[in-house]
Amino acid sequence: MKILVCIKQVPDMESRFKLNSDGTWYDETDLAFRMNEYDEYAVEQAVQLKEQLGGEPEITVLSIGPDRVVEAMKKALAMGADRGVHIQDPKYYQKDPWQIASAIARHAASQNYDLVFTGMQSQDRGSAQVGVTVAEILGFACATTLVGFSYDNGVITAKRELEGGTKGVAKLKLPAVVTCQLGLNTPRYPTLPNIMKAKKKEIAVQPIAELLQEEELTATARMYPPARKGGGIVIEGDVKDQIEKLFGILKEKTTVLRAA
Amino acid sequence: MDFELSQDHKVLRDSVRDFVTKEIKPIAMQIDEEHMIPDALVAKMGEMGFLGSYLPEEYEGAGLDMLAYAIVVEEVSKACGSSGVLISAHTSLACGPIYTFGTQEQKKKWLPDLNTGRVIGCFLLTEPDAGSDAGAIATTYKRDGDHFVINGSKIFITNGGYKGTGVLFATSDKSLKHKGVSAFIIDLNSPGVEILKNEKKLGIRGSYTTAFALDSVRIPVENLLGQEGQGFKIAMDTLNGGRIGIASQALGIAEGAFDLALAYSKERKQFGHPICELQSIQFKLADMHAKIETSKLMTYKAACLKDAKKNYTMESAMCKMLASEAATFVTKEAIQIHGGYGFICDYEVERMYRDAKITEIYEGTNEVQRVVVSKMLLS
Repeated sequence: MKILVCIKQVPDMESRFKLNSDGTWYDETDLAFRMNEYDEYAVEQAVQLKEQLGGEPEITVLSIGPDRVVEAMKKALAMGADRGVHIQDPKYYQKDPWQIASAIARHAASQNYDLVFTGMQSQDRGSAQVGVTVAEILGFACATTLVGFSYDNGVITAKRELEGGTKGVAKLKLPAVVTCQLGLNTPRYPTLPNIMKAKKKEIAVQPIAELLQEEELTATARMYPPARKGGGIVIEGDVKDQIEKLFGILKEKTTVLRAA
Repeated sequence: MDFELSQDHKVLRDSVRDFVTKEIKPIAMQIDEEHMIPDALVAKMGEMGFLGSYLPEEYEGAGLDMLAYAIVVEEVSKACGSSGVLISAHTSLACGPIYTFGTQEQKKKWLPDLNTGRVIGCFLLTEPDAGSDAGAIATTYKRDGDHFVINGSKIFITNGGYKGTGVLFATSDKSLKHKGVSAFIIDLNSPGVEILKNEKKLGIRGSYTTAFALDSVRIPVENLLGQEGQGFKIAMDTLNGGRIGIASQALGIAEGAFDLALAYSKERKQFGHPICELQSIQFKLADMHAKIETSKLMTYKAACLKDAKKNYTMESAMCKMLASEAATFVTKEAIQIHGGYGFICDYEVERMYRDAKITEIYEGTNEVQRVVVSKMLLS
């Protein structure tokens, strides 16, 4: 079995973000980067499957972006992936999800992967389109938002999280793409011996131009922080007054007190 | 000149940081209160490779380098100085000398258990009357057939309470001073080894500081480390490297306290504003940060020099001095920024202040470090 895990490196979400000079993306100066959290679950699930199958599957981890993304790939290699493919693209943020998916699909098509894991979405752009688009281009089965995964004899049983907390179960035959939700598993810590072993694993480098022929379908026109909200309402008076005021606000401005 | 960590070191730092945040930080206060690091945590640190970071893979070490080791001790110590010194004393003072001075057989026999944390290591040099004057040790050894027989006592032995593997120093003849000292590998479960007590301390309370009595302890001759009479050199060389570990521990304690103080200064409001808007607090933060960065540069430099197999004696003495004095300064100021709350045991800076002090004392007092530096300047 050949497994592909697609990961993205994103800024630490506790960073203070500033816009870049043309106002279409964030300024990367002084930001600390780490593996997209959703993708950590994807890597872990792939490694667990490899372990389940006695180490037979080969796991390739792929990332698109500037040289810094190799850090996230090295983490995936230290968690148990076997080799890396770095698709070099310093201007990755100018590509829309269609282009990113097209480049991944072109790489995947040349490698005969059986199974593709990725995060449900990235923490920075959050389009949640790349995984499903890769599946569509490759003609693979696809299940999104996985909160449970099992594999037996060529069939994946995927537990999915649906709207409003409902869960669903889908069965998929290989080849397939699955996108992982937070909490799917417990991503392992890369141990020091495995970080050392990861240093010896191959990371192939390919410029994005070799894989991408598609034009963008959507372009970011402008990015901006939402307007600051007011300071909220401070309810004053004695307890009875406060309760009445709060009740009035909840009744008029929210749906919480309306009968189902 | 590039001051950036390599990508591999960044991956390592982030992994250690994640581990520390989830596994150590939540129980750091408990470790201090109960005067013990849970065995489960020691085992997990072993599995993570924290206890053999720079030892080669052929002896089940992680195969990384001294800089990686410094980063591990630093990151762990940000949350828990006791866990930091466990790693430091174990790696620098037990794994280190066995790897550097041991025979192939000794390395094969002792290192795999140490490097993986299945056994915890310690360094038995200090005695009641031999601290900084290490040549004055009175614990004796005498050859008896294919054994050495050891008699004497050792105090202030970090990690001693684990009764694992020790690197022990003893003299054949006290009048020979440092020339009479030899080093041995000792299994602390041997008959005649008795723990007199685990000390109660101001800080690093989770770490064992143990006093031993050694009564006719028989050590097989193959456990002699290096040559007879080479012990003092082994001790000094070992402590030279150990200082990088203690500097990293001190650096971590300082950074842990600084992070808390910085965050608190933004939250705490007095006179209608966060106290970080007061220049008196701002200047404290600036001084704290400057001392931390200075210590970090020197500590990493010493580690990189050792990795490059260059002389690092002066840098390791200086980084230990700088970082330990940064730790006592920064933790003191962190309490000051917290005001009365900082004095309360519920706030972590109180523990960090207590943990910091020992870093100015052990593995060579800062006075001894200044002797090392000035001797090199004047020689």
